[in-house]
Amino acid sequence: MSETKTETTVHGMMAEFTSVDSLLTACRRIRDAGYTRTDAFTPFPVHGIDKALGIKPTALPWIVLIAGMCGTSIALMMQIWMNGIDYKYIISGKPFISLPAFIPVAFELTILLASFGAFFGMWALNGLPKFSNPIFTDPRFDRATDDRFFLYIDAKDERYDSVGVRSLLADTGSDYINEVVEDESPKDVPKPIYLIWGLSIAASLVPLICILTMRVTNSSSPRFHIFYDMDFSPSKDAQQVTSLFVDNRAMRADVPGTVARGQLEDSLDVLTGIDIDALTASNPPRVERLVRAYLQDDKDAQAAEDAEAASAETPAADATAEADATAESGDKADADAAPADDAETPAAAEPSVMDTTPWLKANPLDIDAELMANGQKNFQIYCSVCHGMNGRGNGLVNRRAQEKMFDTWVPPSSLIQDTLYSDKYPDGKLFSTISKGIRKMPGYASQIRVKDRWAIVAYVRALQKSQKASLSDVPQAKKTAVEKAVAVAKAELKRQAEAAEKSAAEQSEEKQGGEQDAQQK
Amino acid sequence: MSEHALPTVKPADDPAFQLPHSLAGLQLPLLGGGIIALLIGVVLAFMVSDDPMPRFGFSAYLTAYLYGLTIVLGCLFFVLIQHLVRAGWSVVVRRVAECMMILIVPMAVLFLPILFSLFFDGKLFVWTDPNFAAEHGLNDEMWSMKKVFLNGPFFAVRAVIYFVIWIGLAVFYWRGSVRQDETGERAATDRMQAFSGPAVILFALSVSFAAFDWGMSLAPMWFSTMFGVYIFAGSVLAAHCAITLVTYILQRNGAIKDEVTVEHYHDLGKYIFGFIVFWAYISFSQYLLIWYANIPEETEWFFSRQQGAFGYLSLGLVFFHWMIPFLGTLSRHVRRKPGLMAFWAGYILVMHFVDIYWIVMPEARHLEYGVIPTMGGPLGILASLLCTVGMIALVTGLLLRVAGGNRIVPVRDPRLLESIAFENI
Repeated sequence: MSETKTETTVHGMMAEFTSVDSLLTACRRIRDAGYTRTDAFTPFPVHGIDKALGIKPTALPWIVLIAGMCGTSIALMMQIWMNGIDYKYIISGKPFISLPAFIPVAFELTILLASFGAFFGMWALNGLPKFSNPIFTDPRFDRATDDRFFLYIDAKDERYDSVGVRSLLADTGSDYINEVVEDESPKDVPKPIYLIWGLSIAASLVPLICILTMRVTNSSSPRFHIFYDMDFSPSKDAQQVTSLFVDNRAMRADVPGTVARGQLEDSLDVLTGIDIDALTASNPPRVERLVRAYLQDDKDAQAAEDAEAASAETPAADATAEADATAESGDKADADAAPADDAETPAAAEPSVMDTTPWLKANPLDIDAELMANGQKNFQIYCSVCHGMNGRGNGLVNRRAQEKMFDTWVPPSSLIQDTLYSDKYPDGKLFSTISKGIRKMPGYASQIRVKDRWAIVAYVRALQKSQKASLSDVPQAKKTAVEKAVAVAKAELKRQAEAAEKSAAEQSEEKQGGEQDAQQK
Repeated sequence: MSEHALPTVKPADDPAFQLPHSLAGLQLPLLGGGIIALLIGVVLAFMVSDDPMPRFGFSAYLTAYLYGLTIVLGCLFFVLIQHLVRAGWSVVVRRVAECMMILIVPMAVLFLPILFSLFFDGKLFVWTDPNFAAEHGLNDEMWSMKKVFLNGPFFAVRAVIYFVIWIGLAVFYWRGSVRQDETGERAATDRMQAFSGPAVILFALSVSFAAFDWGMSLAPMWFSTMFGVYIFAGSVLAAHCAITLVTYILQRNGAIKDEVTVEHYHDLGKYIFGFIVFWAYISFSQYLLIWYANIPEETEWFFSRQQGAFGYLSLGLVFFHWMIPFLGTLSRHVRRKPGLMAFWAGYILVMHFVDIYWIVMPEARHLEYGVIPTMGGPLGILASLLCTVGMIALVTGLLLRVAGGNRIVPVRDPRLLESIAFENI
C-alpha cells in the first residue's frame, strides 16, 4: 500500500477537524507558519476564515467593474452608431443621438456584462469547470458537506515537506491527516456513456433528416403554415383594392405637408434659387406661394409658381432667343455672338424691368474640387447633348437638327455669352432655369437633384471663365507648364502652317508640272 | 453559531448605552441656535419675496421643513422595515432611528406655518389663489375637477390624516421598544413585528399622498405618478445617512463603542449605496417618461428646471447626487471604514438638501411660461440655507433631548446579542 503511494503523484496534505474553532486555530497556525497555497472546506460559510487562512482579497470586483464599464460603453457606442450614424431614423421627433433614450439599454447591458464578469470571472479564478479534484479520493472528505471541517495544504507550496506538514497538522489537534494523492480510478469513459452520446447524436439528426427529406420529395398535402398571418399578411400591395376607403384604393396619397426622409434638408433659398428674405420684403404673396409649392407639396401653388416663372421669363427670353437665333453654333458663332451681345446690352443692363425676383447672387454650396467634378459629370450627362461639351451650344442634338434643317428647331443658347455671365444672369436664376427650363428646354428638376443642379451652375461658371481666361488667371504654380504648352502648341501650329504652305507650293508646282506634261502630251 | 470569542451584552445601565455628556451639553445651544437661525432665515426669505417671487418666504420654509421631515419619515420606514423582515443585524443602530422617528411629533407642530400659508392666497400653493385658473387661462372644467382635491379644507384634513398615521406608528413602535428596555418581554417584539406589515402599507400610501400634496401640488398643473416614490427614495437614502452619521458621532464620543462594529457600517453602507442607485433609478425613470412623451403640461416642470441656475443644479444632481457617491461607495473597502462612510453620509445629507431645494424652490417664481426661475440672488440662497441649517440644528437638538432621556440601544431586545455578534464576511 505504502509503496503504491510513493509512486503516485502527491497533491498535498489534508487534515480533518471536528469544530469551527479547531479549524480556525489550525488555519492561523498554518498561516503563521508561512504556508500560502492552502484551502479550507466547511459545510457552511465560516466568518473570518479568509483572514485566518491569509487569503488575499479577490480580484473579482475589479473584473466585475471593468466588465460593467465595458457594458456601458458598448451599449452607448452601439446605439450612437445605429441611431446616430448608420441608420438615422426619426423617432418621436428626438435627436438621432439623444442620451436619455440610450440610458435604459446602457443600464441593462452594464448589468448583463457585470453579471457575466462575476459569473465567468469566478469560474476563471477558480479554475472551473473542473470535473474532479484529487481531494475527492479520500472517502472521509464526503463529510465536508455534513459535519466535518477540512484543511488542505497544496504540495506546490514552497514550504511543503511531507513530514513537516504532517507533524504541524498533528500539532494543531487534527485526529485524521492524510496525503491527497492522484485519483487512480480508471479514467476510461464508461461504456453506457458512449451509447448515450451515440443515441443523442442520432436523435439530434432526426429533425435535420426530416427537413432534408421534405426538401427533396414531393407532397400532395398543402404547406403547413406555423404563423399563418405572417405568411399571408393582411396588408395590401400597391395598386390593390380595399373596402376600407371610400375611393376603394389601397394606396393612399401622402398627407399634405409630408416630407420624405432625406428631403427638405435644404432651405427654401437653396430649393428655389431665390433670396427669400429679400422676396419677403418685396413680394410676400409669392413667398407664401413658394412655401406652399415647395414645402407643402401644393400642386396648385406649384402650377401658379411655374406660370409666374414663365411670364417673368418671356420678355427677356424673346430678346435672348433673337440673340440665340443670330448666334451660330460652333466655333464660328463666337465672332457673330459678340455683336449680338452688344446689341442686347441695353436690355440686359436693366433686367429689373423684366425680372424683379431677388435671385441668389452666389452659389449656396461650398465649391470644391469634388463639387466641380460632380457638376462636370452632370453637365456632360444632361446638358452637353444640346449645349455641347464646351457650352457653346453645339451639342450632338443641335448638329443633327442643323444638318436636317428642322424649321421648328430653336438652337440652344451658347452658355458663353455676356448676358449669361453671373453679373447679368445670377446663379439663382441659372439654377431656376435648369430646374424649370426655358423656351424649348424642359425643366430638369425631376431628373437632377438639387445639389447636382447647383453643382452644374458652378461648372457652367467655370466653363464661362475658361472661355475668357487670360494667363493671369492661371495659378502661379501651373503658369510655367501652361506657358510651355502654349509655346509647344504655337510651334506646332507654325510648323503645320509652314508644312501646309510648303505642300501647297509643291502641289501647285506639281500641278503646273502636270499641266505642262499634259500640254506636252 | 461560531463558538469562539462569544460577545457579551453589557448590563442595561452601562454608561455605553447613555448619551455621552459631551453631546448632551450641546442640546440647548442647538435648540436655541436652530430656532434663531430658522427665524432669521424665514425673515430674510420673506424679504426676498418681492415681485418676481411672491412665494419665496414660505417656499424657503417648506424646503427646510421637507428636508427635516423626509429624514424623520425615512427613519420611521427604517424601523418598520427592520421589524417587517425581523432583521437581527440592525438592533444596535435601531434606537438611533427610533429617536429620530419619534421627532415626527415636533414635526407636526412645525407643519403649522404651512397650514397657516393657506390663509394667504397663492403665497405658497398657487392653487389657493382663486384667480389662478382665470389668470392662466386654464380650462374651467379641468380646474374644477382639480379643485375637488386641491382645496384648503381637504388639504388640511389630509395633512391631519398623515400626521395621525405617522404619529400613531411612531408612538406605537417607540413605546414598544422603550418599554422592552425595562421589561425585556419578547412579546413586545412579536407585537411590533405583527403590525409592521399593515404599517408599511399605511406608510407607503401616506408618504405618497403627502409628497403629492406638499411637493407636487406646488405646480398644480404638473403631475407624475412617480413623484411619491421619488420623495420616498431620497427620504430613505437620507435616513440611512443620518443613522450612519449619528451613530458615528455617538461612537466618537465614547458611546456604543463595542456594540456597533465595522459590520454595521458595512450594512448601512450597502443600503446607502443601494438607495443612491434607487434614487437615481427613480428620478431618471420619472425624467425619461416625461422627456419621451413630451407632453407640454408634463415637460414644463423639467423645462423650468433646465433654465438658468437651476439647469446647472439639475446637472449637478446627476453628477453629485448619483455619480460621485455611486463611485465613492462602490467599493467594499470604503463601506468597511466607518470614518469614510460617515463622510459619505454627511455628503449625501448635503445633496439631499440640494434635491429638496431643486424640487421646491423653482416653483417660488411667477407661473408665467418662459420666466426662468431664479434662486433669489445671494440673499435668497443665504435665506434658504439658513432656514435649512436652522431646521437641522433644531432637529438635532430635539434628537439629543430624546436620546438624553433614554438609552441609545434597545438594551433588552431579544436579538441584541445576534446584532452585536453580526458578521458580514
